[in-house]
Amino acid sequence: MKSILLSSAVIALLVFSGCSKEPVVDQSVNQAENVMQPETTTETVGSDNASVDTGNGAGDDLDNKEMKMAKLEKEFSVIYFDFDKFLIRSDMKENLSADAQLANTKASNLNIKLEGNCDEWGSDEYNFALGLKRANTTKDALIAEGVSASRISMISYGETNPTCSDKTKDCWSKNRRVNFKLLP
Amino acid sequence: MKLFFSLMLLLSILFANDATIEVIKKVETLPSIALEDASRDYDTTFRLAFFKTLVADLNVLSLFNVDKHYNRISFDDSVIVANKDMYYVLRYKLSQGDKDSFNVEIKLISHDKNIFLKKYEIRNKNISVFVAHSIAYDINQFMGAPSIDWIKKRVLFSRVVASKKSEIVLSDYTLEYQHVVLKGGLNLFPKWANKNQTAFYYTSLGGEKPLLKYLDTTTGKSTTLLSSDGMLICSDVSGDDKMLLLTMAPEGQPDVYIYNIATKQTKKITAYGGIDVNGQFIDNDTVAFISNRLGYPNVFSQKIGSSSVEQMVYYGKSNSACSAHGEYIVYKSRESSNTFSDNTFNLHLISSKTDFVRRLTATGVNEFPRFSSDGDAILFIKTYKSQSALGVMRLSYNKSYLFPLKEGKIQSIDW
Repeated sequence: MKSILLSSAVIALLVFSGCSKEPVVDQSVNQAENVMQPETTTETVGSDNASVDTGNGAGDDLDNKEMKMAKLEKEFSVIYFDFDKFLIRSDMKENLSADAQLANTKASNLNIKLEGNCDEWGSDEYNFALGLKRANTTKDALIAEGVSASRISMISYGETNPTCSDKTKDCWSKNRRVNFKLLP
Repeated sequence: MKLFFSLMLLLSILFANDATIEVIKKVETLPSIALEDASRDYDTTFRLAFFKTLVADLNVLSLFNVDKHYNRISFDDSVIVANKDMYYVLRYKLSQGDKDSFNVEIKLISHDKNIFLKKYEIRNKNISVFVAHSIAYDINQFMGAPSIDWIKKRVLFSRVVASKKSEIVLSDYTLEYQHVVLKGGLNLFPKWANKNQTAFYYTSLGGEKPLLKYLDTTTGKSTTLLSSDGMLICSDVSGDDKMLLLTMAPEGQPDVYIYNIATKQTKKITAYGGIDVNGQFIDNDTVAFISNRLGYPNVFSQKIGSSSVEQMVYYGKSNSACSAHGEYIVYKSRESSNTFSDNTFNLHLISSKTDFVRRLTATGVNEFPRFSSDGDAILFIKTYKSQSALGVMRLSYNKSYLFPLKEGKIQSIDW
């Protein structure tokens, strides 16, 4: 599907760029100029249009597996952090232990992706690094509780994945977090 | 009048050579300029939109007192009575040419004399704002003012439209022209790959690991250069477009790396156990970057290949983003001790050769500063009362201009 989308984008680009020949310059005037022209295409389409194969049992199995994984994922506790900090808060240690236990029991045959997130105070790289450090300290805590490092990957979404968009301290504190995602 | 500008230029060279010195008192009386529209084609809405863009552009030049009255006249008539006292009159005519091309003819009039004439032609009127910017650029050059190449440049920005959803948008510096070049998924931190602005790097967070991708806008082809656990961002491109400064975290530890595009070799520059991000080329051998090695984010520099690190900023307790242009570094600083007060983040300018610190902004949340390639201006993101805007700051004139974004939130910018 991805390659089809990319091909469509390239074809669209070629069609449009075919129309966009260099502007004609009127040489008869005092001074003429071709104004630099931005590219008109290169639009790609997201995966929202992807069709779902419902014609065979393999799809059903997959859906079933994904549903089970999504259900299990909800059993993991979210780990919250203080402003501009990436150390595990004392009130989060119990949650982390429970998460580690879950990772080593019900989810022991799955990989774990830790998603580091931040509040809206900053859109720069530092904010992304802060999200990553939060994921990393969570990873270290899980390893200390016996979860294999090879099962854990990390990603930081910075401020781009908020669960709450109100302009309140309570809301911002909900966005400074690490989420658990399960991978096959 | 040219003598006046020459004197102004000389004075600015003599006294404003150091951009960290704020020019508080300037000559207040700028020459007046009025605009006269001699267009015959296009509807009133379009003509007025072009007029407003041109007024905004002339304002940004900071050379004139721009009259905002809209006047219509024939192209070859003498100046209208209301504008007789204006030092300059910019008359322009928009016309539709063959194959719907968009044409603009201008003449700059001073004391009944045509002092500057020029014609512009583009294929598509949808990008007419770039013609207005070109007109402003040419008038600035005609006046002998310092170059403003940035006014014609295209701005790339990523816009967060929902959780984990973003768009990369191509625009002019006023955000009036906008074209979505990449949508679907979460694509962030676009960075122009070359001076001709024909390709850009960006971070893709759609998969299991962050990817650094390169998109050629002339072919639409996107290729993956690198992947890294945790985070992967192209922070800067060298002056010769051959090297990249990256923030990567292959072991979960964010550090600054240098990437050679030709050899595809990556070399680690920083090695602190905390956060090192946002590498910026000061020159080919030295980079500035943000590190929390003192317990809070601050600006440091390091020679590539050396382990010796120098603290660049001694003001502020949370300086979490920077942009470098030669000896100058602009950085973002959290001003208030109250974590979430109304006046939270401001931009400051320092020189590596002096101890002066110049505060560039005063209200709102100001972040993601980016020097123009000539160092004349700084582009930045301003958030004020929940609205996101693109800011352009002209350092030599001590003036800022804001252009609000109608929807979404700007995540990062480059120009």
